[in-house]
Amino acid sequence: MKHSPDDQKLERMLRSSKLVADGFMGTDGRGVREIIEADAATLANLGVTAEQTAGRMRELTLAARPALGNWIEAEGKYRLRSEEHKGSLVCPWPHAGRYEKRLTTCRRLDSGEDIVWTDLNIHLIEAHGFFEGKGSYFRLEPDVLVRILFA
Amino acid sequence: MIVFEILIPVLIVSSIGAGLALILLLSERWIAYYGPCEITINEEKKITVEGGKSLLSTLQEQKIFIPSACGGRGTCGVCKLKVLEGGGAVLPTETPFLSSEEREGRVRLSCQVKVRNDLVIEIPKALFEVREFRGRCEKIEDLTYDMKRFRFALQEPETIEFTAGQYIQLLCPVYKGNSEEVYRAYSIASDPEDRAAVELIIRRVPKGICTTWCFEYLKEGDAVRFNGPYGDFRLSEREMPMLFVAGGSGMAPFVSILHQMRHRGDARSAHYYFGGNSVRDLCLDESMREFEKDLQNFTFIPVVASPEEESDWQGERGLVTEAVGRAFDDLSGHEGYLCGSPGMIDAAVKVFTSLGMQEEHIYFDKFA
Repeated sequence: MKHSPDDQKLERMLRSSKLVADGFMGTDGRGVREIIEADAATLANLGVTAEQTAGRMRELTLAARPALGNWIEAEGKYRLRSEEHKGSLVCPWPHAGRYEKRLTTCRRLDSGEDIVWTDLNIHLIEAHGFFEGKGSYFRLEPDVLVRILFA
Repeated sequence: MIVFEILIPVLIVSSIGAGLALILLLSERWIAYYGPCEITINEEKKITVEGGKSLLSTLQEQKIFIPSACGGRGTCGVCKLKVLEGGGAVLPTETPFLSSEEREGRVRLSCQVKVRNDLVIEIPKALFEVREFRGRCEKIEDLTYDMKRFRFALQEPETIEFTAGQYIQLLCPVYKGNSEEVYRAYSIASDPEDRAAVELIIRRVPKGICTTWCFEYLKEGDAVRFNGPYGDFRLSEREMPMLFVAGGSGMAPFVSILHQMRHRGDARSAHYYFGGNSVRDLCLDESMREFEKDLQNFTFIPVVASPEEESDWQGERGLVTEAVGRAFDDLSGHEGYLCGSPGMIDAAVKVFTSLGMQEEHIYFDKFA
């Protein structure tokens, strides 16, 4: 796959630790466009769009926020917790985007399965279709995300 | 002949490339050379500097430290100051961080303004007092499972003057997982009379650049660098009773404030509500009980949202803001001081104002 100079610049930013420790790409050797395309294909097979996924994550984050970092039950099937930390997270794409450092944990009551996302994850999925590279601390596997959010 | 046919175009192209590279080098040396520029600060101080760098780093070289969290990459929006003349147009990288009032008031991000000509700027006077400090990490202490207290003994300069409630910017060096130096702001948690050191209370942030360094790489005896003090969060001079509310590492400025109150023999009434999700989130209970003994009208109220089943927690339960709401009917005569997450502060401000506290009597240090 050919990469434009802009893609190469973006990839350097994503692999660097300029914005988060260890960067966004983890141990993934694929290029950012390949990662995005592969994850988009997974989502399409599951019949869900990136916008719907991000919208659901935002909905659950908003439900968790009033508990001020404590666990709260929602919709009869989740335990949610949204913790706010000092600082903010900046989108690595070349546009203005700064998000509070908020970590939301979403645990299914039936399976005990849980996932953690940041407000930046929501933006990256919604605006860029980017779930981060494999091995990255905040990588979200699209199939796991869909199973937890929509089942 | 064929060799020449191939060689000649290659030589021509190579010569053009080399020529262009030479032009670029010369341009950088001569055309992008801005020469000496004069910066007038607050209409009273003039400094002559070499042009070509950002205003933030130029001022830093002159030992004038503007707070910045991202090391000048234009991503934090903290390094604001007024550029009254010579700053050029606001860059697209600045606009997300500037309100329309700020743009009208000629506020700029100093990391995005390049010094190319003479400038007239305005900065808060307090920033002239900011110094760079070098020291050594003297002690690291676990306060909870995810919070530590760090004590940095000062070496150069050997002492610091600060007001309780202020913060410093700690330099996070390059380490495996962080490729560039960055600064992060932390409230000072130590006694303002203890001028030979500063103490910080830091809560670990998953994959946070600076907290990862503090928790995994920084060891007792290591060299540290920081600058400060910064900030306006401090006790007012009023005589009104006070309500402190904090969660997590929001504890830090209040420890310093309580030391200051003890030195002054402050008899103002103060209730300090400290919230944790579980009992294991609480810390410094012993120190707080000491402050209660020493300060005539100080009460510490730890609040736990969801005590662990195995704990025998007898204290306040629920959200820290709920505990405040249960304890007071009228806060119209009180001042409120808050330090913690944006969510906690927003919720506390709602409770305070609903109980009659005036907004101008509410002071906060929001994690940002």
